[in-house]
Amino acid sequence: MRSLVIVIFLFLTVALHVLSLGNAVNASRTLPKDEDRPFVLPSQMLKIVALEFRGLASDIFFLDSMVFIGGTQTRREIPRVKEWEWRWFAKTLDAATDLDPYFFDPYFYANAFLPWDAGMAEEANRILRKGSQYRDWDWMLPFFVGFNNFFFLKNDEEAAGFLMEASRRPGGDPLFASIAARLAFKENRTETAIYFLEETARNSANIGIKKRFELRIKALRSIVFLDKAVAEYKKKVGKMPATIEDLVNKKIINQLPIDPYGGRYYITQDGRVTSTASSELEPYLSSFAKEIRK
Amino acid sequence: MTILWPIALITFKEGIRNRAIYGITLVALLLFGATALVATMIPRDVGKVSVDMALSTVSFTGLLIVLFVGINLMAKDLDKRTIYTVLSRPISRPQYIVGKFLGMTMLIIVTMSILSLLAMAAIIMLKVLHADYFTRFTWQAIILADCLIVLMLIVLSAVSFLFASFTSSSFITLVLTIITYIIGQSLNGVKALIESPPQELGFSVSPMTMKLVQAAYYLFPNLSLFDIKLQASHALSVQSSFVLWTMMYGVVYIVLSISLAALIFRRKEFP
Repeated sequence: MRSLVIVIFLFLTVALHVLSLGNAVNASRTLPKDEDRPFVLPSQMLKIVALEFRGLASDIFFLDSMVFIGGTQTRREIPRVKEWEWRWFAKTLDAATDLDPYFFDPYFYANAFLPWDAGMAEEANRILRKGSQYRDWDWMLPFFVGFNNFFFLKNDEEAAGFLMEASRRPGGDPLFASIAARLAFKENRTETAIYFLEETARNSANIGIKKRFELRIKALRSIVFLDKAVAEYKKKVGKMPATIEDLVNKKIINQLPIDPYGGRYYITQDGRVTSTASSELEPYLSSFAKEIRK
Repeated sequence: MTILWPIALITFKEGIRNRAIYGITLVALLLFGATALVATMIPRDVGKVSVDMALSTVSFTGLLIVLFVGINLMAKDLDKRTIYTVLSRPISRPQYIVGKFLGMTMLIIVTMSILSLLAMAAIIMLKVLHADYFTRFTWQAIILADCLIVLMLIVLSAVSFLFASFTSSSFITLVLTIITYIIGQSLNGVKALIESPPQELGFSVSPMTMKLVQAAYYLFPNLSLFDIKLQASHALSVQSSFVLWTMMYGVVYIVLSISLAALIFRRKEFP
């Protein structure tokens, strides 16, 4: 009898435990949060506080940012990631690489997300330049700095300099040097961009990130294809096509390429081809379209 | 030496029989498990993460041994009054201190060797699983970092002996040793921080603070010197002159602390 009472008591306690934990966690979500304040301790302070575990602290900061990115993938709201969250993300990666400036992964994440999704190319480059300086055996970091300079910041001169640097490092493709030369002469910007992206995708260990880069390459290729078609249409017909379907109607192209981002291609009023979905490539497209129309 | 040996041996045996060792070993095993888990989550630099987590585990568990086993060893004789029976034998108080310290050093070296072997097993396992991501990796760097961790722990233990020689309870020794560890690990950083130009710092440091930090710099053991885990995890070059000077600094600090402890202990009055 007595043991039965004990069993029932324990059973009830466990049930209460599960119940209270679940409710407490749910209720904790309603607590006011210190949002909009992306606070990360200054690195000089972190280095002291971390004692002899700087490497470990760096790993933890990186894991934190990784978990954050993973968590945003399933979000439904638009924009998926808020601006202050991106600032926190950048600061966390900056702290991780201050604690251990030789750690590669935070640099890779900074490059994969900050310029593309957060529109923070300058911030990404600031972090990457630090990595390029410390990891002087690694060709990838100056390569990334070069790409961001070329693609987002439109600073071809600096891009060429970093590409030359990448080509000199062990494992760096000698081809980088010829891209650098191309940049110096401002030739074939699109193919250069595609080449850059292919190189980055090839070196991605993370399958998710690799896929994202492949998507960008595909989208870029389609847009280049359509832009060339528009230029050809203009030459043949003598005016800009009114809609994108005109390209198929006049048999300039056989069919419209499918937007890998799930959008629909259209021609803007100033004659630029763009998509309802692929806004990720927007900063690049505007300058590219200008070049084509010249 | 023949007088010191029995004391050293009995101290070592007492330490290794301490129940706390089991708990600490369990912590170490869990942390090595965590190393394997976390390292596999890292996309590329698996080598770096596994090396610095494994070495951090060795260092952290060693610290637990120094704090919770080592300090007790010293205090037990005083608390249980067994020190009277020891000192009634033909042995001087300084010899007693040195003997105890040798025993403690043996304990640190033996336990750390076992932990290091476990750490290396963890690294080897991860290296087999993710061979592609161990491009910058050398065993020499890891073993050197490990040796410096052991030396750091012996220095800290010597300092704890110094504290034990003049405090009346093991708890005060424990607190003082923890404070020394924290100061010793952060001294270099704090000194660099306050010596950086004020415009970079954003605030000005009073001359008094400057003097205080400089005094602490020579008083407390500079434990961060013994930390080359970062270099080991990226296989960066470590100059042999650095290693030699650091080892010499460690040995000199140990000799100084133990001599002082012996001197103070000679005059100590037992309850």
